[in-house]
Amino acid sequence: MSESLKIRTESLEIAQKYQPKRRYLLAILQDIQKHYNYLPAEAMETVARYLSVPLVKVYGMATFYKAFSLTPKGKYIIKVCDGTACHIKGSVNLLDEVKMILGIEPGQTTDDGLFSLETVACIGACGLAPVAVINDEYHGNLTPASLRQILEQYQGGMKDAK
Amino acid sequence: MQIIINGKTYAANPGEKILDVARRNRVEIPTLCHSEALPGLASCRLCMVEVHEGGRTQEVAACTYPVTDGMEVVTDSEMITAKRKILLALYNLIAPDSERIKGLMARYHVEPFDRLQADAENKCILCGLCVKACEELGTNAISTLFRGTKKKIGTAFEQPAAECIGCGSCASVCPTQAIEMTEADGKRTIWDKTFELLRCQDCGEYYTTPEALAHVRQKLGDTVGNIEELELCDYCKSRRAAEKLKNGLRLNELFDATVK
Amino acid sequence: MQNKKTIFICCGTGCQANGSMKIYQAMLKAISGLNLDVEVIPDIKKTGCHGLCQKGPLVHIAPKEITYIHVKTADVPEIIERSIIKDEVIDRLLYFDKQQNAKVQSKSDWTFEKKQYRIALRHCGGIANDSIDDYIDKGGYQGLEKVLKTMTPEEVIDVIKKSGLRGRGGGGFPTGLKWTFAAKAQGDVKYVICNGDEGDPGAFMDRSIMEGDPHTVLEGMAICGYAIGANQGFLYIRDEYGLAVENMRKAIADAHSKGLLGKNICDSGFAFDAEVVRGGGAFVCGEETSLIHSIEGSTGEPTPKPPFPANQGLWGKPTIINNVETWANVPVIINKGADWFAAIGSEKSKGTKVFALVGKINNTGLVEVPMGIKLREIIYDIGGGVGKNRKFKAVQTGGPSGGCIPESKLDLPIDYDSLIAEGSMMGSGGMIVIDDRTCMVEFARYYLKFLSEESCGKCVPCREGIKSMLKILTDICEGRGQAGDIELLEEIGAMVKANSLCGLGKTAPNPVLSNIANFRDEFEAHINDKRCPAGVCKNLTKLYIDSKVCIGCGLCVKSCPVGAISGEKKQPHVLDEEKCIKCSSCRERCAVDAVRVR
Repeated sequence: MSESLKIRTESLEIAQKYQPKRRYLLAILQDIQKHYNYLPAEAMETVARYLSVPLVKVYGMATFYKAFSLTPKGKYIIKVCDGTACHIKGSVNLLDEVKMILGIEPGQTTDDGLFSLETVACIGACGLAPVAVINDEYHGNLTPASLRQILEQYQGGMKDAK
Repeated sequence: MQIIINGKTYAANPGEKILDVARRNRVEIPTLCHSEALPGLASCRLCMVEVHEGGRTQEVAACTYPVTDGMEVVTDSEMITAKRKILLALYNLIAPDSERIKGLMARYHVEPFDRLQADAENKCILCGLCVKACEELGTNAISTLFRGTKKKIGTAFEQPAAECIGCGSCASVCPTQAIEMTEADGKRTIWDKTFELLRCQDCGEYYTTPEALAHVRQKLGDTVGNIEELELCDYCKSRRAAEKLKNGLRLNELFDATVK
Repeated sequence: MQNKKTIFICCGTGCQANGSMKIYQAMLKAISGLNLDVEVIPDIKKTGCHGLCQKGPLVHIAPKEITYIHVKTADVPEIIERSIIKDEVIDRLLYFDKQQNAKVQSKSDWTFEKKQYRIALRHCGGIANDSIDDYIDKGGYQGLEKVLKTMTPEEVIDVIKKSGLRGRGGGGFPTGLKWTFAAKAQGDVKYVICNGDEGDPGAFMDRSIMEGDPHTVLEGMAICGYAIGANQGFLYIRDEYGLAVENMRKAIADAHSKGLLGKNICDSGFAFDAEVVRGGGAFVCGEETSLIHSIEGSTGEPTPKPPFPANQGLWGKPTIINNVETWANVPVIINKGADWFAAIGSEKSKGTKVFALVGKINNTGLVEVPMGIKLREIIYDIGGGVGKNRKFKAVQTGGPSGGCIPESKLDLPIDYDSLIAEGSMMGSGGMIVIDDRTCMVEFARYYLKFLSEESCGKCVPCREGIKSMLKILTDICEGRGQAGDIELLEEIGAMVKANSLCGLGKTAPNPVLSNIANFRDEFEAHINDKRCPAGVCKNLTKLYIDSKVCIGCGLCVKSCPVGAISGEKKQPHVLDEEKCIKCSSCRERCAVDAVRVR
């Protein structure tokens, strides 16, 4: 089965968990995003047809909501919290540090597909500010220097695995 | 029902919006996103007026705010005009070449901002009229995409859209001529898609795309049969209608023909 | 069963980030590994937020009322040995209360708790966050039963009206009045919506309630459904709030199985159902009409009001939208009565308000206080003052829609109206304490940057106004500010406030305008002197080490990510301005305040 056909089949299966009503568009796209870590074009086409919603409206949704990504994300997603509490405790410096080490801006993924950088607005761990979450692991009370060490562990860990 | 605009009393009907009453009575309220044919979008925010109602004063968008009996509206108070000028100066940053905006700037004596530079090349003010027109036609080829300061109008994946029939309705409703539509050698290009053009059966000028004609035929279906006017350009359509009138046809037939 | 103990482990997001789930699992494992008497085996409950996130993970043991802070998995065997099997208190795990200058055994005696009054958070931390039985044991669903069996819909609305409850999501619209509109609106189909799309980037109140006490929200919504004639509820919850979504879904299923949701609730003939809708991630969806469009499966763009949702909302039907905290108040008001509730708070703002108290404050956490309390009491009594003994500068309320309140206004009794009078607003309840190392220009820019990404972009005043204001503020922060910029910001700001389509735009300039009003000198320093007094804006900051103050401890050297500081031990150090990236790590680390801003 070609990759494209596979995506169409899988995304139809995901969509069919819901009735074909417009109101489920957001939920279906969220499930697809969770499944692939992004929204493949074929999946959006499949959903548009399943719900009888114009394709451009599906694409409009996909680009409006922050939950969706149009390109595959990296293996490790670094979310630097830029909620207000983290911001005034120096999250910008953390962000600058990641940008410097990995050479990517928020919303981008490293060429090796290892890291994606994102900013998030308040993850509710203000007691630990400034905070970054790498995949599901929280790292609190960070400084640029301590974040650098953490990133080196992730980078180093990968080298070992290979 | 009556409302007062700038001190004068006007008759109004329940369900009407302030702008409806103002336009009917030739009271000036500027707009960019308003079209008589479409419901108010309330996106350009140029039609803000001061409203006194039930002991409260508010600034509201005239295009969508419903009239209430005895309401007082002021369209040119200092409160309104000062902000209108700032807003128009912002418009000038987005669409500095637009004749419509230049006209409004002159009309309301607006000086451009010295401090802020206009965006290069961007004439779209994102009023949404084109999207609304495309929706009303049932084609749904374009929509607003992204959000915030990155928002734009486009097709799915920003690629030539299968749904686009090249009718050009979006370009014709655009208040700032921001949608590029070029015609040359019997071909029309819009939204990165090129269409053949058809010639009018009467005058022979290019006037529409086969896709647009097919779309209209399909929409009208069997209800009206084969209307030969469909194969005419707008000019010839109205000329024929006028001839019919001369020939003594009833007025409502004329209405039908022109509407369709 | 008098000896039966209960262990409440805080599994709110803050404590989970600190590893509280591991403690919960370690507790379960340790207990099952011991051959304890049935009477000694404790109940171990995962709970919602206890409040003092700063000291998490928190573990509370009843009935002896012992609260342990900063608990680690390594502490688990000792806790079981000494505080569960025996009746001892482990002194080293107790909270040291600076204000009392003593270790305090139970959280209820912490100074942090003294001025708090818990209504919306009444169960958070005190019940298992996934147990309907715990909720019912605490009197849960009695409010719903009471309205269904003994009250008419009109009477219910009357109680809410008389209580003086106002919407906790921001604007403070009277809740009872809103319900009246929907009750009077024509139509067989009506809806109730819970706004759980907490998007304010410094707030986690609603999240904590949904995580810690989901049933109170459902009960509140069902009561409203009965009052206005709605049979279907939707809970629009931020998708990032995984635990809230999970707990809420379980709560709905559990309520169904007990006949507290579904058809013929409590044999009254009244039917009410609820469904979770996961939000797509857009701050603008906190706005009522945007939220409605999002539930309908569209982009979250607002539409003009009128028509108001109470008349024409979801799918054009009369719809009541209240936020999580508002819903959490409803069952209590029904149970305890309008007079009881109206006796709490200030003249025009009744009841309590939950705040996420964060920033440069000693006691970061979730607090609930009576309306009308002074800011000074929240910051100094409950919050324990500004962290690291720095100088208080301002407190920000209302998030991106609000503003900063300076020191001169610390004795302001806070309620909806007093905050608006100060150019801020209540908002959903973020309260961010700021010290002298926060730049007010950059802080305003931060909010505008957020809003420029979160504006839906539909209307020009908001989209282009914010963009232009952000451009000017960025210029100021980067050293390109010009004379006249402050006035231009004020002019554009006034227009954006008046002309924008929805609440996001109408409040977007507040952070800028309020900072200009209260900290104009900082803006002027940036523009005229090209200097950032707080040392935040990198282009306008030069750091140096004061050789008279430096003790040569070397902490700064270790903290510097670029190796810009050098010096001999116990000798004054030197900072190389060429290498310095102005991240201020050294300044934060220095114990004697020797790193200074030029």
